[in-house]
Amino acid sequence: MRSITFLASCIAAVSSFAAAELNISQPLLSRQVLPSSFKPPQVFKNANLVRTTMLEKGYARDVINVVIENIDSKPQSEYYVPFETSLLAKVGCFEVRDKKALEKDPFRVEVVAFDEESSTEFYKIHLPVPLEPNQQQVLRISYSVLSSLIPVPAEIGQNEKQYLQYTFSAYVPSAYATEKQKTNVKFPSGDVPDYTKLPTELNSENKPDPQKQGSTFSYGPYENIPAGAEEFVSVRYEFTKPVTHVTQLERDLEVSHWGGNLATEERYWLENRGAHLKGQFSRVEWQKSAYMNPPTAALKALGFPLHSGAVDPYFTDDIGNVSTSRFRPGKKESALELKPRYPIFGGWKYSFRVGWNADLSTYLRKLSTGDSYILRVPFLEGPRQPEGIEYARVQLRVILPEGATNVRYSTSIPLIESSTSMHRTFMDTLGRTSLTLTAINVVDDFRDRGLIVTYDYPWTASFRKPIVITVGMLAIFAATWLIGSIDTSIGKKKAA
Amino acid sequence: MSSPLLDVWEAASASPFHPTVGKQSQLPLGFFLLAISFLLAGVFGLNRSFRNLSLLAVPASLAFGFGAVYMICAVGVYV
Repeated sequence: MRSITFLASCIAAVSSFAAAELNISQPLLSRQVLPSSFKPPQVFKNANLVRTTMLEKGYARDVINVVIENIDSKPQSEYYVPFETSLLAKVGCFEVRDKKALEKDPFRVEVVAFDEESSTEFYKIHLPVPLEPNQQQVLRISYSVLSSLIPVPAEIGQNEKQYLQYTFSAYVPSAYATEKQKTNVKFPSGDVPDYTKLPTELNSENKPDPQKQGSTFSYGPYENIPAGAEEFVSVRYEFTKPVTHVTQLERDLEVSHWGGNLATEERYWLENRGAHLKGQFSRVEWQKSAYMNPPTAALKALGFPLHSGAVDPYFTDDIGNVSTSRFRPGKKESALELKPRYPIFGGWKYSFRVGWNADLSTYLRKLSTGDSYILRVPFLEGPRQPEGIEYARVQLRVILPEGATNVRYSTSIPLIESSTSMHRTFMDTLGRTSLTLTAINVVDDFRDRGLIVTYDYPWTASFRKPIVITVGMLAIFAATWLIGSIDTSIGKKKAA
Repeated sequence: MSSPLLDVWEAASASPFHPTVGKQSQLPLGFFLLAISFLLAGVFGLNRSFRNLSLLAVPASLAFGFGAVYMICAVGVYV
């Protein structure tokens, strides 16, 4: 009789799954296509603008603080930031906040595209409160520009210094007229052998342009720059550190209610975008410099600061286990120190996978409303390197238990795609619900950003695995009994 | 960052998820259940009858079902 009740719960588990309807709380990042004649309405002006370009890491990061003023007669709430189409593809982590309330949520932004021929596209910023006429507001616009640092010279010796070149517009590209603006460029060191000098007439203070102050250069101030004006300048600076570029990162988070475990696996395809190696790699030279530990453009080690409680780490590549790794569990955080199989010089690639386990109780909580759960995990847990890491594409997959329904998520990382699908693995009958989130152009500054996922997981669904195995075993027992009781004897049956 | 889901997360701080059987006890429990199921299956094999099917085979299958799940977790394949 007991088997019947279990069979019933098994059927209930399967039926609950069939009725599953996935609910995604956040829409996909949309692009609005406007006619080519479209030009942002000139309803704003930039009263004052200060841009800080940070080149200390292996990618460029811009922070623009701008005082915008509504010059229209009606309240306005849409502010446009233009980018060249080729540049837009490299821009990531675009965020706009109110400078006076930085702790508040970032403003809603979307990419506005024109027809194919248009070379300019825009980020459209939705101000949460429309700006009244003649009123001012201070915005803090921040974004990273990936894959924009070019090594010059393109080939260097094994122990030589590496120089990178960055080209940008001294006038901050804007869809509106800018009254006063200035650009500060922060370099990793004061070693800047080449940079574009602009004529002093452009500068509103008639000073030599740029002004140097230690490792910071400043272009400007410039006055009354019309909308869309650009003035390209190049800087070449020392950066004897690896320019680590992750072409693709696949990150899997697997939730196990039976095991009380959160399994993380990350698969990296990375390359060093720095200057290529001149001639051949010399192992002797490399070994000689191992004790001196001079700055090098090669990527020697990766440090993963994991949450405390991480256990069973592994580090493998195409060949197999890479033994040059150390794991130091700690109370605040556990450090996983990896050394790739070979030092990664400019143009060299390396792909590997790392993974670890953790107790689920830190990441998962049960909601008071029935069989619902809430999961909070970091979106990105990559290495923390002083020279920074850029990710061209991050694909995060959250594998929920089999039978989880009503999946909702929320994250502050801008996504390009999200979908739910089935993932089949050990002991699955129908497959586990997996939530796949894709983000492009992410930098390691965003590694502490969280992801929250809620889902319903009825207790009947949780019993599916043991019940399916139980039913299978029982079928084998019944078959043995049935087949064993078939009378195959020859001759007359004995009277009972 | 404030979002509705973050508030839900904060509100549920008193009820972190704990599995019925902790990671430490998965191996002994899985082993124990599997041993029972093999024992009962063996006894059933000696005398296959309809009465024994419900008396021995049903508990043996149940023990195998749950034992297999705990054993696979214990060896590191968290299902």
